[in-house]
Amino acid sequence: MTAALVVGLGSVDRGDDAVGPAVAHAVAERGLPGVRVVEHEDPTALLDLWVDHDLVVVVDAIRSGEPPGTIHQLETGAGAPAMPAAAWSATGRGGTHAFGLAAAVELARALHRLPSRLVIVGVEAAGFDYAKPLTGPVAAAVPRATARVLTVLEGVTSGVSR
Amino acid sequence: MNHKLTDGGNVLHVGTLARVEGEGAMHIELRDGKVTDVQLRIFEPPRFYEAFLRGRSFTEPPDITARICGICPVAYQVSACNAIEDACGVSVSDEIRLMRRLLYCGEWIESHALHVFLLHAPDFLGYDGAIEMAVDHPTVVERGLRMKRAGNQLMTLVGGRSIHPINVRIGGFYRMPETAALRAFRPVLEQALEDALRTVELVAGFDFPEMEQPYEYVALRAADGYPIESGAVVTSSGAAFEVRDFPRHIEEFQVEHSNALHANLDGGTRGPYVVGPLARYTLNHDRLSPLARDAAQAAGLGAVCRNPFRSIIVRAVELVEAYHEALRIIDGWTGSAAPSVEVPPRAGEGFGASEAPRGVLFHRYVLDETGIIRDAQIVPPTSQNQSSIEADLRTLVEGWTELDDHALQHRCEHAIRNYDPCISCATHFLDLTVDRG
Repeated sequence: MTAALVVGLGSVDRGDDAVGPAVAHAVAERGLPGVRVVEHEDPTALLDLWVDHDLVVVVDAIRSGEPPGTIHQLETGAGAPAMPAAAWSATGRGGTHAFGLAAAVELARALHRLPSRLVIVGVEAAGFDYAKPLTGPVAAAVPRATARVLTVLEGVTSGVSR
Repeated sequence: MNHKLTDGGNVLHVGTLARVEGEGAMHIELRDGKVTDVQLRIFEPPRFYEAFLRGRSFTEPPDITARICGICPVAYQVSACNAIEDACGVSVSDEIRLMRRLLYCGEWIESHALHVFLLHAPDFLGYDGAIEMAVDHPTVVERGLRMKRAGNQLMTLVGGRSIHPINVRIGGFYRMPETAALRAFRPVLEQALEDALRTVELVAGFDFPEMEQPYEYVALRAADGYPIESGAVVTSSGAAFEVRDFPRHIEEFQVEHSNALHANLDGGTRGPYVVGPLARYTLNHDRLSPLARDAAQAAGLGAVCRNPFRSIIVRAVELVEAYHEALRIIDGWTGSAAPSVEVPPRAGEGFGASEAPRGVLFHRYVLDETGIIRDAQIVPPTSQNQSSIEADLRTLVEGWTELDDHALQHRCEHAIRNYDPCISCATHFLDLTVDRG
């Protein structure tokens, strides 16, 4: 069992929806001990992915009206209040995500299957067009989003108990 | 999900229609209690894919078209393989066909379990969605997730990944799964089969609005077995034709209110037509395994099912069929088959179809002598069902005009979800507007 899990959520083939996998890829390249990194497209898979993990970071595209590339960070988890669904349900518009991230998190909460600490890092997206790469502002945000994830993981990787 | 309404207004504008794969728009006009207009608006990426495929190699469509939809990538892969192998004049071995069928069972399982438990059941049990339902019925939702997970695992086992399988190629697979790994998966499928039988019983107990669809049903029918990865086309009016004649019978046409193509059968003279579970079941009831057929009968389904609301029972029966079929294929697997056959390119036109979870998915490709794609056509099931979804709503809304907007919204969503529309194959937004004039 690893201490922390990082999930990059989104389709790599749908423009800015690929930002989650892109950040996950950057985190994986660090080869951090005790950190498991996965990419996935299906938010409902989170319920199985995060079994046995106390700290989970999910990175996803978001559309809330902020400028593209803006980074949002949300702390939630077993003891936290429900996610504000209006903004986060818009994530992953390009994929299979009628059952979106917020819905998956709240379904897990209803089933008592949330990790104790869940951190969601969202990157404001500009477009979810098929077969398009990340747009400029979102590509430019990948290092900053990666840094956010690494900061969250610091407590785990440095061996300091939280 | 934003699907709350401002009750009492004349015109309703609603955000994303909840619990439909992808997004689209629905507009309904009422005048003096009569429905004067129903329009399903879809904005359609597959047209983009058709253009994108031109000039690419004949080996690429399985990987490229799988990305059209995160819910039914295998359907796209298999229809593409069928069409290109047809163009090249190649037939695959029975073992390859069976392995495609096994992979496809995983997709049916994943898609149907998601739809039955997380998208459709809340309509019948009176919940806004699966989250609210999970609070009161956690064991039911857990069962659905367990059943869906079995599908994901099966797709990973055969396809290499659970979302966009990477093991599929023209002519077969890059490698066959290990026989021992397939056998080791039996207990998961056996548990899921038990879960599926209980699911048929559960959904059979729901309340179903009375409705009989008069439309023509269209499905594949194979030489043997329930139609999944291949077959010829049959219809409830008795028409039957080969997949290569699909374009001669099914005509796509543009409607003003949507940039997705609609489709009609034989000139549309017999009205809209329906593809998907109800059509598949009604036209292939005799091809179900005895286990699935008995479960259907115990659930009160006859050999014909024309009530779209009962599609949830048919999906549950098809879940039984898919787990049972997966077990049958695994039990008979000897592990000696070559993973693929050679497919040399040649100039020509090829046609392929398979039964996506939502219904017949048709592909057509024109290749030059080096295997470069010169033309591509994709007819997804949701496009074909658009006219019948609109016709259902026209019929149903006539009886619902006394409902307030909030209730009307929910009923309409429920009626649309009967089709499990995979609008991510075809659209960006599904808003509902009701204009009461």
